[in-house]
Amino acid sequence: MVSQRLPRRSFLGLLGAGVGASVLGTSACGTDATSSGGGGGTFQVWVLQEEAQNVAHEGAVDRFNKNSDAKARIVASPNDGYTDKLHVSMGSSSKPDVFYNWGGGSIRTYARDNLLVDLTPYFEKDTAWKDSFLPSVLDAGQIDGKYYGVPARGMQPIILFFNKKVFNDHGVQPPRTWTDLMAAVDRFTSNGIIPFALAGGDAWTELVWPEYLVDRIGGAEVFNRIAAGKKDAWRDPAISTSIDMIRQLVDRGGFGDSYASVRWDGAGASNLIAQGQAAMHLMGSWEYTNQVNDQPEYAKNDQGFIPFPIVEGGVGDPKAIVGNPTNYFSVSKDSAHVEHAIEFLKQEMSSDAYVDQWLKAGDVPAVSGLESRMDNAADPAFAKVVYDMVNQAPTFQLSWDQAIERAQAQPMLDALAKVFLGQMDAAGFVKANEDAA
Amino acid sequence: MKTRPNYAAGALSAMWLVLVGVPIYVMVSWSLQTRDSFLDRGPLAIPGSITLSNVAEVLDSGFMRYLLNTVIVTAASVGLTLLVAIPAAYAIVRSLSWFSSTMFRIFLAGMAIPAQATIIPLYLIINRMQLYDSLTAIILPTVAFGLPLVILVLVGSLRDVSAELYDAMTVDGAGPFRILWQLVIPMSKGAIAAVGTYTALGAWNQFLFPLVLTQDPSMRVLTLSLTSFKQEFQINVPGMMMAVMMTALPVFVLYLVARRWLIAGLAGMGSK
Amino acid sequence: MSVALESRAPVRPAPAPPRRRQARVNRPNALYLLPALVFFGLFAAFPLVLVLYLSFTDWNGIGTPGFVGVDNWVRMFENEAIWDVTSTTLLLTGLCWVTQTPLSILLGVWAAGAQRNRAVLSALFFLPLLLSTAAIALLYNRLFDPYVGIGRGFEPLRNILGTTSGALTAIVIVVGWQFIPFHTLLYQAAARNIPKVLYDAAYIDGAGGWHQFWYITLPQLKNTIITSSTIMIVGSLTYFETIFLLTNGGPAASTRTLPLEMYFRSFRSYEFGYASTIASVLVIVATAISLLIVRFSGFGKMRSTLEGL
Repeated sequence: MVSQRLPRRSFLGLLGAGVGASVLGTSACGTDATSSGGGGGTFQVWVLQEEAQNVAHEGAVDRFNKNSDAKARIVASPNDGYTDKLHVSMGSSSKPDVFYNWGGGSIRTYARDNLLVDLTPYFEKDTAWKDSFLPSVLDAGQIDGKYYGVPARGMQPIILFFNKKVFNDHGVQPPRTWTDLMAAVDRFTSNGIIPFALAGGDAWTELVWPEYLVDRIGGAEVFNRIAAGKKDAWRDPAISTSIDMIRQLVDRGGFGDSYASVRWDGAGASNLIAQGQAAMHLMGSWEYTNQVNDQPEYAKNDQGFIPFPIVEGGVGDPKAIVGNPTNYFSVSKDSAHVEHAIEFLKQEMSSDAYVDQWLKAGDVPAVSGLESRMDNAADPAFAKVVYDMVNQAPTFQLSWDQAIERAQAQPMLDALAKVFLGQMDAAGFVKANEDAA
Repeated sequence: MKTRPNYAAGALSAMWLVLVGVPIYVMVSWSLQTRDSFLDRGPLAIPGSITLSNVAEVLDSGFMRYLLNTVIVTAASVGLTLLVAIPAAYAIVRSLSWFSSTMFRIFLAGMAIPAQATIIPLYLIINRMQLYDSLTAIILPTVAFGLPLVILVLVGSLRDVSAELYDAMTVDGAGPFRILWQLVIPMSKGAIAAVGTYTALGAWNQFLFPLVLTQDPSMRVLTLSLTSFKQEFQINVPGMMMAVMMTALPVFVLYLVARRWLIAGLAGMGSK
Repeated sequence: MSVALESRAPVRPAPAPPRRRQARVNRPNALYLLPALVFFGLFAAFPLVLVLYLSFTDWNGIGTPGFVGVDNWVRMFENEAIWDVTSTTLLLTGLCWVTQTPLSILLGVWAAGAQRNRAVLSALFFLPLLLSTAAIALLYNRLFDPYVGIGRGFEPLRNILGTTSGALTAIVIVVGWQFIPFHTLLYQAAARNIPKVLYDAAYIDGAGGWHQFWYITLPQLKNTIITSSTIMIVGSLTYFETIFLLTNGGPAASTRTLPLEMYFRSFRSYEFGYASTIASVLVIVATAISLLIVRFSGFGKMRSTLEGL
């Protein structure tokens, strides 16, 4: 369809460009579109704008730039809106050369539209490079059997963080079962403590709950069927049971009463637990990294972490984890610096200096042979827990919003937010997801 | 006025003053405190101590670069708008052809186009023109969507120029261009200043076009930079407030020196 | 638009002079219009046509748009969520109008009066106009934070962004805070232009302040009310930044309006074709409302309201 339209568009394009160029040229305001992607011997490396993370990224870029004629340049953007911006530029002529992503749904469209460098041949040629990453994590970044991403940072299972001091003060033990958890919730609410910190203004923070509950109750197979688009997959009883449990938790005051106005970008939830106003926070391992950076005292003395409790009667493996295997760096095929970009990833992503910077920041990178370096971690005990968690996990479920098709993610998040607000029940949640599919 | 003082309206105004004042007071007060101390007292309390350290933090976050981009976008938008709108308004008022009156109707209708609704095709067009991620990409649609109102105001002002003046210049042998330069522009200085200010404010404050049509930090404008400050200063609310204040500072200065044109410009701006 | 929508045709000396004379009168030709036409056509009119075309495609923002007929339109009408979004948009528009109009009229009339501190006070009134929408939304985003903001010590505001009605109220407050000064400005200018004799006559007749306001001021402000309302209503339909930055459409999509739904469907869900369908609806609704107001209010014949400024 568009090819038929092209002549007209290009005509208008030329016309407009001509007007733009001539008019702007004479007004001498110097706003030419310098292609930041290619020229000048630099290439962009897109990352999230989080103080805690950028130390390692910038370290990698600095080391690489010392010995390279093409220079890498960090472009940091806020988490909220990052994927929007990525998509817009992937459709343009000014694509990022190297960009940070979550694997799965976050790059599937680009891989299928042939916009990414297939890294498989590079890994095959350089097996030492390939073997420097944990195979399970590297493979989790595959799309249709090909590698499009290089693990870029720590492994990110969702962990149950708790404030040790708050637990001690109220004589509560870290919950190992759902019954424990509900008992702890009652204990904390009656003492004026918010049991779980939650940045409910961003629905993805709520997604960790059904992810774990469904896995514990029905096993990994339940969501795998959903992700594969199987008919009636959302009607699995594990889904409605976990939604009912979430509603119960909300009704019992499990998240306090103002969680829905807390946004992730304001660090509100992390502050709550660090300041002892909340007792627990079910969040990805990046929460640890952020606390090490923002609230070092709390991170050092009071931050506890345990796996998600088991649910009595559930058939799921209690060692199974959910979250993001890691974040990846992918390379645009259009980049004028593909080889340099890959060289950058080869040189830095599993380098000792890079790995140590992440460890120091609180992350646990997905590289093999990490045991010997763990003493460099901000907290070796935390590093070991995460490392063992991932190594022993029978399954590592990718976050639902990344695993399913992009167009279905937003309706799912909307429906879940309604569940957390008490505006939707299990049947409504199932229906909303089926309608979107 | 011979009426009694209107106590009800007076009370309402006092209330409004509080409503306007409180958020601005909190913003100023927070921006002058450190991130460690701003929560010590209530948001309405007088700050215990005052610091300008946040200014440095905001400046360190690339503020000057974003300011420069915003200034370029604003200046170019105003320049281009006036460059194309003044001759157009002149032609609409003075030309006798059916074409110019039809054009005027089209521009009038154009005021009803909600700019937000065209962002998807605009993205496509800008992309095909290879202009994505440039300040030009922001400037061109900004000018286009500002034109209808600008032309309308200019036409209104040009109609007040009496026909005798045109005739007099014609008798002197002046061509249309000289008439434009020596009569039309001087006679509509007020309207030009008002629409210039209106365009400048619109360009200065816009958000959606830069959000969708640029990506590189070197192309970032001030309004957009606020969202990155929001992330960067996520636990530094005072820094964030200082950034908000500093983006408004140039407009505030303009307000002090040229209140009349600013108000006229604002009055125009609200209509989009 | 706040200016005369006086669509009288260009001044035409009657009878039309013969063509030969025209050259001697030295009138500008159509070329003077061309640059403006190109800009407007390429970046405002053409996108309008293109958005309609895209609504019949399945474009994902990256590849090439493929024609899918009326699929998106059928899907939209069958989707319940779009009705929620549309009714949220209309509700918000209504709430904004109901709160802003009376306040702006009263403040504007007051500011047009002769109180002593008026100049200073009205200068303060207009401070919100100096901040960009993005700045205001982010300021309030922090002010309404339950743990940092003014709600920390003030229960009614604590969780305002966390409930459906609260978040709607918050948007109405913020939008009002931002735009009431502007509308006040319009009413102030109009109120100053009301002939004094009308009041003098009423005063002699012994009419009180309320009577004067109701029977003289308000009727005299009729045209301004229409102008201001049109601006308010069309503006409310298309608010994007305020909601995007203040509530992000939340909680649970309860403040998601048509422009936000369009943005989420396109730049977040990558359904640019479907999002274009929503954009088309937005265009149709905005145009229909503008036309209705113009049609039923004689708006097209109005005099300038900018003149008093």
